[in-house]
Amino acid sequence: MQINLDSRGDVSVFGVSGDIDINSSPEMKKGFEKVFREKQEKVLIDLTDVGYVDSSGLATIVEIFKNMKIYGGKLRLAGLSDKVKGLFEITKLDQLFEIFPDADSAIQSF
Amino acid sequence: MKIKTDIANNSHRLKEVSGEIAERLESKGAGGQLVFDVRVAVEEALRNAMLHGNRMDPGKKVNIEAEFGEKAVRITVIDEGSGFDHQEIPDPTDEENILKTGGRGVFLIKHLMDEVKYEDGGRKVVMVKYFKAAERKNIKCDREDINADKS
Repeated sequence: MQINLDSRGDVSVFGVSGDIDINSSPEMKKGFEKVFREKQEKVLIDLTDVGYVDSSGLATIVEIFKNMKIYGGKLRLAGLSDKVKGLFEITKLDQLFEIFPDADSAIQSF
Repeated sequence: MKIKTDIANNSHRLKEVSGEIAERLESKGAGGQLVFDVRVAVEEALRNAMLHGNRMDPGKKVNIEAEFGEKAVRITVIDEGSGFDHQEIPDPTDEENILKTGGRGVFLIKHLMDEVKYEDGGRKVVMVKYFKAAERKNIKCDREDINADKS
């Protein structure tokens, strides 16, 4: 798994590629420590290049959401494949997160 | 040929075995969604067996068996822990649980596989996924003794 950080205006865009699973979830959590430390208000996780997520990955994204919620930060998700989106739907996390088809529409939503 | 092996409580070994099962399904002509569903279920079952069953005890192993039939694939995962009652696991989609960071593994297994049975006090889980009709035309079967009742 790799995380590429980019800024689009006042939005921090985390482009994740690879699998978010039991092995990569700890690394993903570390990648977001700066967000919480700096209390970044607008964050987008772009999952366009993520082909696989397991329950550890779902838990990691929930944890990021919870940590940002503490200080009023806003998290958006974009680019979920049909398979990954299916996992969000089964677990009803699609009702917890604001999910957009692509990064551009997610950024415009802030 | 079925896959049957004992593995240590190691997440990298977990990925190797699930990858081997996924490759076998792909080589038999199974569709991408089915391979994805089985892969997630296998990894969740192995993870539960290692973390919650064996509690990562280096002296304990997880046994996994994958049988590839004409109509279905059947995966059996057995740990050496003290078992658990799968019916007591809270629904992770309930409002009071939705923000919890754990408890989705068993739920995903039940939703992604067509049949799931816990046996031996929860130490053994048997999961079956049926191939769709379109996939079945392509499936090359090694075993025909999986009790696949669905047509």
